[in-house]
Amino acid sequence: MHLMVTLCLMLLTTDVCSQKSTKVKAPKGTKWWSLAKAGEPSNDLRSPLTKHNNNPSLEPLTKRQRKLVTKNPGSIVAVESGAKLAIQECKHQFKNRRWNCPTNFDGHGNSIFGKIIQKGCRESAFIYAITSAAVAHSVSRSCAEGGISTCTCDTEPHDRPAGRDWEWSGCSDNAKFGHAFSRKFVDILEKGRDFRYMTNLHNNEAGRVHVSSGLRRDCKCHGMSGSCAVKTCWMSLTSFREVGHSLKDRFDGATRILPGNDGLKAEEENSGNGRSSKKRRLSFTPANPNHKHPGKRDLVYFEDSPSFCEKDQGLGHNGTTGRECNGTSIGIDGCDLMCCGRGYRTEEYVARERCQCQFHWCCDVICKVCTVNKTRHMCL
Amino acid sequence: MAGVVLETLSNKKLLILSFSLAIILTVFFLIGGIVAPSPNSVMDTLTIKCYDKDNGWHLNNMKPFTPRGKDSCKHIDSFKDEEIELKKIDANEIVFSQQLPLPKEGIDLDMSRWFQNLIAVMDVNVEYDEDNPYPENNKPEMLIEAKLFYRDKEDDESDWKLLTESSEQRKLDCTIEPERRRNGNLYNCELISLFELGSVHYDYYLINIRLPIDPRNTMNRIGKLADMHVIAIFQNGGFTKVWFSMKTVLTIFALGIILSIMNCPIEWLTLAVNMPFMMLLNDIRDGAFYAMLLSFWIIFVGEHMMDQVDRNRLMAYWKHLTVVILGCLALFIFEMCERGRQLVNPFFSIWSSEIGGAAAFGFIITAGIAACIYFLFLCYLVFRVFRNISLKRTSLLHMSTLRRKYYSGLIFRFKFLMIVTLLCAALTVIFFIIGQLSEGQWKWGDIDVSLEYTSAFLTGVYGMWNVYVIAILYDTDTNSREEEVQLTQLPSEASTLTSFITKQSAD
Repeated sequence: MHLMVTLCLMLLTTDVCSQKSTKVKAPKGTKWWSLAKAGEPSNDLRSPLTKHNNNPSLEPLTKRQRKLVTKNPGSIVAVESGAKLAIQECKHQFKNRRWNCPTNFDGHGNSIFGKIIQKGCRESAFIYAITSAAVAHSVSRSCAEGGISTCTCDTEPHDRPAGRDWEWSGCSDNAKFGHAFSRKFVDILEKGRDFRYMTNLHNNEAGRVHVSSGLRRDCKCHGMSGSCAVKTCWMSLTSFREVGHSLKDRFDGATRILPGNDGLKAEEENSGNGRSSKKRRLSFTPANPNHKHPGKRDLVYFEDSPSFCEKDQGLGHNGTTGRECNGTSIGIDGCDLMCCGRGYRTEEYVARERCQCQFHWCCDVICKVCTVNKTRHMCL
Repeated sequence: MAGVVLETLSNKKLLILSFSLAIILTVFFLIGGIVAPSPNSVMDTLTIKCYDKDNGWHLNNMKPFTPRGKDSCKHIDSFKDEEIELKKIDANEIVFSQQLPLPKEGIDLDMSRWFQNLIAVMDVNVEYDEDNPYPENNKPEMLIEAKLFYRDKEDDESDWKLLTESSEQRKLDCTIEPERRRNGNLYNCELISLFELGSVHYDYYLINIRLPIDPRNTMNRIGKLADMHVIAIFQNGGFTKVWFSMKTVLTIFALGIILSIMNCPIEWLTLAVNMPFMMLLNDIRDGAFYAMLLSFWIIFVGEHMMDQVDRNRLMAYWKHLTVVILGCLALFIFEMCERGRQLVNPFFSIWSSEIGGAAAFGFIITAGIAACIYFLFLCYLVFRVFRNISLKRTSLLHMSTLRRKYYSGLIFRFKFLMIVTLLCAALTVIFFIIGQLSEGQWKWGDIDVSLEYTSAFLTGVYGMWNVYVIAILYDTDTNSREEEVQLTQLPSEASTLTSFITKQSAD
């Protein structure tokens, strides 16, 4: 135990140092995000093209992440699809905003979300939350599919003697393993006394809590003659879209926090009692004293977001020039706000699109191609 | 006729008797609460979407589609994959597949014969999609082609044997709240029952489901399907073991015929022989027990009416017994239709067709009304008994102190027995009401309290019936012996209480 602690501490210190000295590189713990590029077309010669889809490379993982993944066969596939899911959902949620979740698979060790994650702003809070939530969701899903064979059972509070637990009281849980796995996998390097780390940890956890609290309860009656004298209930995952929606709501209501003493204090309490470190209680002071303390599900940030109006090479954001905007909306997707007052040009174009499709439950089958005249507005 | 021993016992003995009965009852509750796990387990599985490239299913030369293992099928991760468009995959080429049980904790689990029964339901995840909407104004029909395979541990991994196959029509009933109508959100769909197996005889089960599309009809036009879950519910092995043990122990003690029929643990045989009719048989046995218990209560209370009317004939209770028989008959017919048919075709569900569902509902409503009327009858009878007693009680004042003490003691004990009867009836009724209303696996307070309340209730109420019937049996048994002794003293009547009544009315 003692050895572990010192080892961890050493790891932490080296990590914090590396973080500070190499500001340009993405934090090591977030490199797994680039798993999302597996299978996607890439111009990068260094990315191995022969990669088999069922076996993503462990390259972007840290040592401990690799260990975790090898210990749970099948989980790397789930992590990979989790990374894809997160990016897809982020892009969907932000498609109408100035910052539209741009990603860039450059393969040079930079974060695929760009340098925005080195800031402590709302956007980075969302990225941390959605990626961690996506891993929890995707791993839980994979458990339900039988894709990971090491998923744990949520046996009832009884402590049955080990062995034939399954025969005695069954095995029903998928979501808890997903949550625990995501915590182990995602939080693995977010350790330290740094205020930024504490914020990231909080946002990671917030993302996962949204997955766990979004579980839906279903019941089936199967008593005598199908009556409800015996009723069995279980929790099932909702679609990740709903997690995305609720995280986006939290993004809009995120709390700005002060780098006070609180986070540090919480950490010190933990180091006094090694066991409780798993149930970290982070508490932050809101910057506005009239606001309530951020709860478990709230996203927190401590830096103002850039306006995202102009191209910012440092952030890897292209600005809103050339973005399409909504001519009639007065919201954030409206041309006034989207184009930051620079104005927009309107153009008419002819689009060929699929129309009058006949759908089946899985896929569309027969579509016609229609030619439509359309109008679009583009920011200058 | 009954209740003599209780009525003549001394206070001390009565106390000891009720105390020991209470202890036995507590033991039953504790066995359920502490030793047994929750009665049922559930396994929520997500089916794998296999790609039936050669349309083997349709051409009837398919190999089973397995979700994992060395022979696992070619599968698609999600219907959003580009692969679908690239390969022009069509709905008829998708087979949903899942193998039970799922591997957990690094162990390749297998089903145990202790599980007794397996109920599978389908949870269809329909996504809101503006382009491909779910027909909200008419519940769409689904045509489900399903195959169920089995395999034992010793068998080769690809050696799946067909257990049964069927194609079933079900209605899909989904709703969505107006504020959640956004692309990608899921509808709340009613669960669709898939199959019920009356015995879990094999180690692994493989489910293959296909939702065929035929341009000539409107089957399976259900909007956009995202995923299909198959949820398997089975009785926990631990619960079965505790239940069997209790039954075995109780048969040894209890010798009542109906009790034996109810208790006789022929379930042991399911561990060796495949007995898919077990679920039906169990329900019928339970029903017989209920019918007997309910009739017994009516007659028991009626015999203590003490209003000088001769009712030593069953005919006197025809009203009450008709209600019981009617209720039980309704449930029995329903049972034969549902579970009886499932012996032949496990995928069958009476609820799936509109007429069948209405008929089934009718049977259940009939049974429910019968139950209500029965309880009203019982309450009325007990009310009359108590009224009669309090009427008779006034005449006690004219007796000598010794006799008065003796008879008021008798009345007290008789009332005690009545109240126990009513309590048992009420507990049974409450058990049912709670079962109908409450959630399946509820717990009181924190998770730290490791009591399994559903199990506790099941074993507790089961134990209660047994304790009650044993007490009554013991009662009537010793009653007949005492009768011989008392005959010399009281030649006319068996029960001292009834003798008191007759004596008093003669006065």
